[in-house]
Amino acid sequence: MKRLFPVPHVIGFASSLLLSLIALVVIKFDLTFAMGMTILGVTALVQAGLQLFLFMHVSENEDKKTLFTNIGYALFVGLVTIFGTLFAMMWGYNMG
Amino acid sequence: MKIDHSLPLEYSTEENKLKILGFWIFLGAEIVLFSTLFAVYFTLQGNFADGPSASQIFELTPVMIETILLLTSSFTIGLGIHAMRIGSKKAMMTFFGITLLLGLGFLGVEITEFVTYVHEGATMQTSAFLSGLFTLLGTHGAHVTFGLLWGGAILYQVKKRGLTPETANKSFIFSLYWHFLDVVWIFIFSFVYLKGMM
Amino acid sequence: MKWDEFFVTGEPMIYAAMVSIVLVSIAIPAGLTYFKKWGYLWNNWLTTVDHKKIGIMYIIAALLMLFRGGVDALLMRAQTAIPENGLLDGQHYNEIFTTHGIIMILFMAMPFIIGLMNVVVPLQIGARDVAFPRLNAISFWLFFFGAMLLNISFVIGGSPDAGWSAYFPLASLEFSPTVGNNYYSLALQIAGIGTLMTGINFLVTILKMRAPGMKLMKMPMFTWSILITSVIIIFAFPVLTVALALMMLDRQFGTQFFAMQNGGMDMLWANLFWVWGHPEVYIVILPAFGIYSEIIATFARKNLYGYKSMVYSMIAISLLSFLVWVHHFYTMGHGVMVNSVFSITTMAIAIPTGVKIFNWLFTLRRGKISFTTPMLYALAFIPIFTIGGVTGVMLAMASADYQYHNTMFLVAHFHYVLIPGTVFGVIAGFHYWFPKVFGFKLNERLGKWAFWFITISFNVTFFPLFILGLNGMTRRMYTYSASTGYGPLNMLSMVGAVGLTIGFILLVYNIYWSTRYEPREVTGDPWDARSLEWSTPSPLPEYNFAITPAVDELDAFWFAKKTNKSLFEGEYEPIHMPNNSGLPFIMGIAFFFFGFFMVFSWWIPAVVAGLVILGTMAYRTFEQDHGHYISVEEIERTENALRGENS
Repeated sequence: MKRLFPVPHVIGFASSLLLSLIALVVIKFDLTFAMGMTILGVTALVQAGLQLFLFMHVSENEDKKTLFTNIGYALFVGLVTIFGTLFAMMWGYNMG
Repeated sequence: MKIDHSLPLEYSTEENKLKILGFWIFLGAEIVLFSTLFAVYFTLQGNFADGPSASQIFELTPVMIETILLLTSSFTIGLGIHAMRIGSKKAMMTFFGITLLLGLGFLGVEITEFVTYVHEGATMQTSAFLSGLFTLLGTHGAHVTFGLLWGGAILYQVKKRGLTPETANKSFIFSLYWHFLDVVWIFIFSFVYLKGMM
Repeated sequence: MKWDEFFVTGEPMIYAAMVSIVLVSIAIPAGLTYFKKWGYLWNNWLTTVDHKKIGIMYIIAALLMLFRGGVDALLMRAQTAIPENGLLDGQHYNEIFTTHGIIMILFMAMPFIIGLMNVVVPLQIGARDVAFPRLNAISFWLFFFGAMLLNISFVIGGSPDAGWSAYFPLASLEFSPTVGNNYYSLALQIAGIGTLMTGINFLVTILKMRAPGMKLMKMPMFTWSILITSVIIIFAFPVLTVALALMMLDRQFGTQFFAMQNGGMDMLWANLFWVWGHPEVYIVILPAFGIYSEIIATFARKNLYGYKSMVYSMIAISLLSFLVWVHHFYTMGHGVMVNSVFSITTMAIAIPTGVKIFNWLFTLRRGKISFTTPMLYALAFIPIFTIGGVTGVMLAMASADYQYHNTMFLVAHFHYVLIPGTVFGVIAGFHYWFPKVFGFKLNERLGKWAFWFITISFNVTFFPLFILGLNGMTRRMYTYSASTGYGPLNMLSMVGAVGLTIGFILLVYNIYWSTRYEPREVTGDPWDARSLEWSTPSPLPEYNFAITPAVDELDAFWFAKKTNKSLFEGEYEPIHMPNNSGLPFIMGIAFFFFGFFMVFSWWIPAVVAGLVILGTMAYRTFEQDHGHYISVEEIERTENALRGENS
């Protein structure tokens, strides 16, 4: 039975639950917007990293360089789309 | 097909390696797809017109249940792949089965949540904010639904055909898909729900 | 929906089109039955997973669409040739410029490029097929049925009429109440999914299936350009997927994304469209750059100058292409900051493009140039494209753009980029690789006649538009009064359009003529070229390479020829090949009907068609298909037949 539950997986699972709980502080306490976003950003990124490295085994693949480039490129385009859209449609727009 | 026994089954043929790489790249495209939906949601989230705002409709309890269900399912499918690698077909199938049940539970809670919103007068047509919200959540939910069908089909194949290079490859690729949906959910949980309730 | 609205009525041209559609759809099955070709069609084409045949089908479809889009263009030029012309009414004109744009970009330029890359890329890297042959067939049929879905719109229900960029609020249900823009959102969606799959397929193919020894930096430049293009496709097309889905939701399900009330934002559509749309420009231009690099190196008899800088400039273009989209709507009214940022990124992208132009010039310098038809297109491309590029930099200046925006100047600019870039590129590539696929060249004399007609007429058609634009003529206006003074230059442009038509007819006539009379080509290397595809016999055997080539440098075939070395060492071994399948074709048909029912909001049939699509996917996952082996004896037979008579 024990060999079906490898320790890294169990620790990973516990950490992801814990990180979700930590993220809750942003609604339980009266934080500034910047502080709240930072906490959410950090907890979400760490969780994503957990999934990626621990559960999706990204670094065991013989093409891991390609995989990292792929994810990096996707994040580049994704973030450009999100922040570029906000910049063009809202922030930059209101600046006059 | 040449089978390389020094590698886990799912990587053991040239074709299998191609498929895993291809699927990772597809996930890259999925990252952009969800980023675009996030971009739309963030742009429109303040535009609730005459309808309710985020903080008026979001409730913590169902969201926490969804999060825990999905995180656990991600854990169990990880265990499923681990079981597959140590050659335990039975454990692998059990873990995959649990994963799909948890996914089904997630979907149930999400549908209930949608029904509640609609009862409160918050429909997809009410305001741009709600259009963005329903589309983002709905796209994720549609992925989960598709995953349930797909995962079910793979589970059936493992049962019938055992752990072969082909079924192992499919199972592994499915696990990548499932973990990816979990990652997307984490971002929805953080930047849609928690940010909306801040 | 009333039945009298179902078919488009009231236009003699439309009735003529309906009659011809009916006649063609009777003639094709009748002909197939009479000549007993059903089995041939099914076994050799509709079910094929062979990258070469899929490539040929893409190119045939692209040529057909070139003529459909060309007729649209001629009608537009004819309508505006004289002031106050009554050939087309405003609505019809709107539909025609819309479908012209959609068809030329998405159903002509894209499939032509994808067709060429299907044929060429596996050959250039020494592979026997693409990474996912079955997926490749699915991509083709999704493109094909997406294109057909858009094309039936002009007789059933009405064509989209809000421009190829379908800006909101014009494209919303309120201002475009016909089903035209539903066709837009669904046909493009179906074809777009196919394109995304093509991008993934070719990226994996190029990354994983190169011949031993072919490092990334030893790949032919065309393969490099396809690698970069695939990357842009993979990361740009999901944005289009989302944009089109939101458009469909807005038009058919009453959401408020791009609405003008309830918090919607009409310009958000323009934003999303161009987040995809600008990278799309590079998706259609980079492969052409790759084609020119091959052709210029081959016919100047020199190594490509600045190989590394070519590669790095393409990588730079691929990243920058995602950073410039706002320059399509500088006049929306955002702040100075936004326009400045995007103005700078836009100008920056001209730098790597300029690097490439200079590399081609240096490749030509002191080369022994042979002026073949493909080379003529490549040589004409450089100066004409530069005019397009320079006017692009003019448009990049946000403050000046307020003057050019939405005028004929812009129309002239992008035709000056896309025609010498993409269209000349694919035609050049078509002439260049034609003998590889069919075993004979296209006639050079006819080819050159077509070239001169096309190149001169192109300039006669589009140069006047620069001046018209600066004089204030806006794009998409269907008529004007004589007092504007736009008449003479528009008439000149019409003359050019007729010349272009003659040029394209000559090009197609050349295919017919060469098929009948051009001598067969026996060496497999008619141009004395450089890369691996020329090391195979023409036409090609199903498996491309009997023995996988071993490569140790760039242009390995060229150096092998110079040093009398063989690229193919070793014994024949059984070759594993994928099986044909009818599933992709059936899936395409299911998508077509799904799209069609969705266009008319016929939900129950749409759900049924959707279930059929799911069914084909389920069939695929349960199917066990391990391909087949070609035996050594059969390889020997084929190779002796192909090479025996030649050597």
